[in-house]
Amino acid sequence: MGAILSISTTTVGEAIRRRVLLVILMIGVLLISIVPALSVLSARSDLTTTISSMLFVLRIVSVLIAIVLTVYMIPNEIERRTIYTILSKPVQRWQFLVGKYLGAVLALGLMIGLMAGVMLILFYFFKHPPMERMLDLLRQAILYFIEVSLLAAVAIFFSTFVTPLVNFFLSAGVWGVGSLLNPLYDSFANNQGSAPIIRGMAKFVTSILPNFSNYDVKNPIINPGVTIQNETTYYLGTAGYGLLYITILIIAGILIFDRREV
Amino acid sequence: MRRKNTKTTLLGVLALAFVGQFAVSQGYLLGFWRKNYSPGGIVANNLDPSQLALSLFGFREFLAGMLWVRADSFFDQGNYDAVLPIIRLCTILDPKQIDVYATGMWHIGYNFTDEEQRSDRRYIPSALALGKEGARQNPNTYEMFFETGWMWYHKVDDDYGQAVKWFEEAAKREDILPARRNLLWSAYQKAGRPDESLNYLYDLYDRAKGRLKDDQQFGNRQQYDTIENNLDTMLVRMVQRGWVAQHSEEGKKNNWYANGAYDTKPPFDVGFSAKVTVLSDRVLRVEGTWNVLPVGTRIRIVLRDADYPQAKMAELDWDSSDSVNLDPPRNLTFMQDQLFVRNRHFNRKIDMSKDPTMYPFIAKNYLVEFYYNPRSAPPHIQDKFGFNGEGFTDKNFLRTDVRETIQFKPAKFDDHKFPIEFEQIPLKDIPQRVMYTTLSLTQEQIRRKGEWSDKTPVVKTVNYVESTDSKDKDDVIYIPNLRVSGTGDAKAPAEAPKK
Repeated sequence: MGAILSISTTTVGEAIRRRVLLVILMIGVLLISIVPALSVLSARSDLTTTISSMLFVLRIVSVLIAIVLTVYMIPNEIERRTIYTILSKPVQRWQFLVGKYLGAVLALGLMIGLMAGVMLILFYFFKHPPMERMLDLLRQAILYFIEVSLLAAVAIFFSTFVTPLVNFFLSAGVWGVGSLLNPLYDSFANNQGSAPIIRGMAKFVTSILPNFSNYDVKNPIINPGVTIQNETTYYLGTAGYGLLYITILIIAGILIFDRREV
Repeated sequence: MRRKNTKTTLLGVLALAFVGQFAVSQGYLLGFWRKNYSPGGIVANNLDPSQLALSLFGFREFLAGMLWVRADSFFDQGNYDAVLPIIRLCTILDPKQIDVYATGMWHIGYNFTDEEQRSDRRYIPSALALGKEGARQNPNTYEMFFETGWMWYHKVDDDYGQAVKWFEEAAKREDILPARRNLLWSAYQKAGRPDESLNYLYDLYDRAKGRLKDDQQFGNRQQYDTIENNLDTMLVRMVQRGWVAQHSEEGKKNNWYANGAYDTKPPFDVGFSAKVTVLSDRVLRVEGTWNVLPVGTRIRIVLRDADYPQAKMAELDWDSSDSVNLDPPRNLTFMQDQLFVRNRHFNRKIDMSKDPTMYPFIAKNYLVEFYYNPRSAPPHIQDKFGFNGEGFTDKNFLRTDVRETIQFKPAKFDDHKFPIEFEQIPLKDIPQRVMYTTLSLTQEQIRRKGEWSDKTPVVKTVNYVESTDSKDKDDVIYIPNLRVSGTGDAKAPAEAPKK
C-alpha cells in the first residue's frame, strides 16, 4: 500500500508540473470566467445559457486533461527508463499501475476541483442563484469527475500496449462513442421507425463499452422544474458502475502489463 | 502455481465486474437516465449528420443555448425568417427549453404580418403544433399548456372550447401562477359555459381567501379583491342576461325567461349588410352596416381560396396539424381581418398588393366571408347579446350551424400524464347564434385582369343599400345615451348618421 501511495503522490507532482496540462487548465478556467459575459447576449434565457456553457467547458476541458495526462504516463516511464529504477525496488507491476492510476485520478480531482470552484464562485457572484442550483452544479461536477476517472482508466488500459498517439485517438474515440450511447439508444428507442437491427446493435454496444453518458445529468439542471425521484440512488448507481468498469479496465491493464517486456 | 492462481482470480473478478456493470447499466441506469435526464425528442430524423454528431455527444443543451443566443440577435435585427429554423433546431436539440417553445410559438403565431400588420394566419396551425409539442415534452409544468391555451384564447379568438381544454390542463399542474390560473373562468364564459365559469370562480375565490389568510401581503389582497369583483359581476350578468332564468331548474319550471324582463329580450337585429369593391389589383374596399351604436364591434372578414384545404366557415382548421411546418402553403391565400364598426357602419380599405407572397391569389375562385360571434364581443355589448347570442339576431344572416359548442375531456394519457386523446362532447343545448354570410369573387376580379381590367368589380349582399352619408362623419364616434337603455338598441342621438 505504501508503494502505491508513494507512486501516486509522485504522479500527482509530475502532473502538476506538466506545462501542457497547466495550459489546458488555464484555458478552461479562462473560458469558464467569460461565460457570464456571454450569457447577456441571450436576455430571455441567460441562466440556461450560463449553466449549459459552463458545464460544456468543464466537461470538454476535463476530458482533454484526462486523456493528455494519462496517455503518456506508462510510455514515458518506459521511454525514460525510470520504470527500471521503480521495478527494481520491492514494487510489483500491478502496484505501479494502480499507483499511476490513482495519481492520475488525484491530479484530475485537483484540476476539476479548481475549475468547478471557479465555476461555482462566478455563478454565485453573477447570477445569485438559490442554493439548490449551486448544489445541482456541484453534483454535476462530481459526476464529471467520476466520468473522467473512468476515462483515465481507459487511457491507462490502452497505454499498457499502444503508443501515446494511438492511445490519444483510441481513448478519445472510446469516450466519444461512450458519450453517444445513451442519447443514441434513447433516440432509437423513441423513433419507432428505426430498423430493429440498428436498435439491437445500439443495445449491444451499450452493454459492452463504458457508458460515459450516464454521468451527463445536466438537462434538469439547465431546465429546472422537474422533480426527480430517488436521484441519490442513481448517483450511487453511477458511482458503482464507474467503480466496476474501472476495476475491469485496471485488471485487464494489469494482466497485459504483467506480460509485457519493458 | 501461485502466479497462475492469481491470474485466475483476477480473470474471475474481471468477469464478475463485467456482469455487474452490465446488470447495473441495463437494469437500472439506462432506464433512469432516459426517464429523467434525457433531453428527449427524436434527433435522429430531424438533424443533418454534423448536427446529429455534435448533439449526440452530450452537448445538445449547449448547442441549443448558443443557437438561442444567435436567434436573439436575429430578433433584434427584425430578421424573423432566420429565427424560424433556429427555433426548430433548438426545440429538437433540447425540448426541455420551455422558453424556446413559448417564444417560438408566439413568434410564429404573431410576428409574421403583412404591411398593414395583418397576421399571416397560415402559420397558426404550426404555432399551435409547436405548443402541443412543447406541452408533450414538458408535461410536468403548466407553462406550455397555458401558452397553447392563450394562443387559442387570444390569437384564434374563437373556438373557446379549445382554450378551455388547454387552460384546464394548465390548471391541473401544481406550479401554475395564481394570476394565470384565473384566466380559465373567462375562457369558460367565452366558451358559452357560464355555469362552469361561476363554479370555477368560487373555487378561485376559496383559494384566494386561503392564501390571504396565510399571508396578508398586497398581492394576495389584490388577487382576492379581483376574484371577488369578478364573482359579483358574473352573478349579475348571469341574472341580467337571462342565463339563470333559462338554464336553472326552477327558472325552466316557472318559465322565468318568458315572463321576465331581461337585457337579452327581445333579440336585437343587427341588420348586417356589406359591399365589396375591388379598387385595384389586390386592393378592396369593404363597407356596410351594423345597426349597433355602442363602440366595440369588430366583424371578422376572411378572404380565401374557395377550395382552401383546411378551411372551415370563417376560419381554418387551426388544430389540423401535429407536426411543425415552418413553411406555410405559399400557393394558397387566406386573409383575415376585422371590420371596426363606428356609427352603425363600417368602411375599410384592405390593401394586399404589397404582400404578394402572403396573398398569391393563384386559385380561380375566392370567398369573402363575414362572421360575427357574440362570444367574442366586449362585455358591454354582450350584456345585450347574451353569452351565446341569445339576445342577438340578424334578419338575413343569423346562423346556428356555423360553430358547435364543444367540451373536450381527456380520454387517454401517455406515461408522462400528457393527454394524448380528448373526447369531444358537443353541447347541443348551448347553440351559438352567429352572423355569417359569404360573397364570391374571382381571381380576375381581384387581380383586375381580363374583362375586369377597366371595370370595377362590386359584390354585395342582397340587402345592401347605398348610403348617402358623407364619409367625413366617420371621424366622429357617437356615444349612445346610457339613460335610454345602454344597450345596442339605444336610440341614436339626432345628429348621428342614419342609414
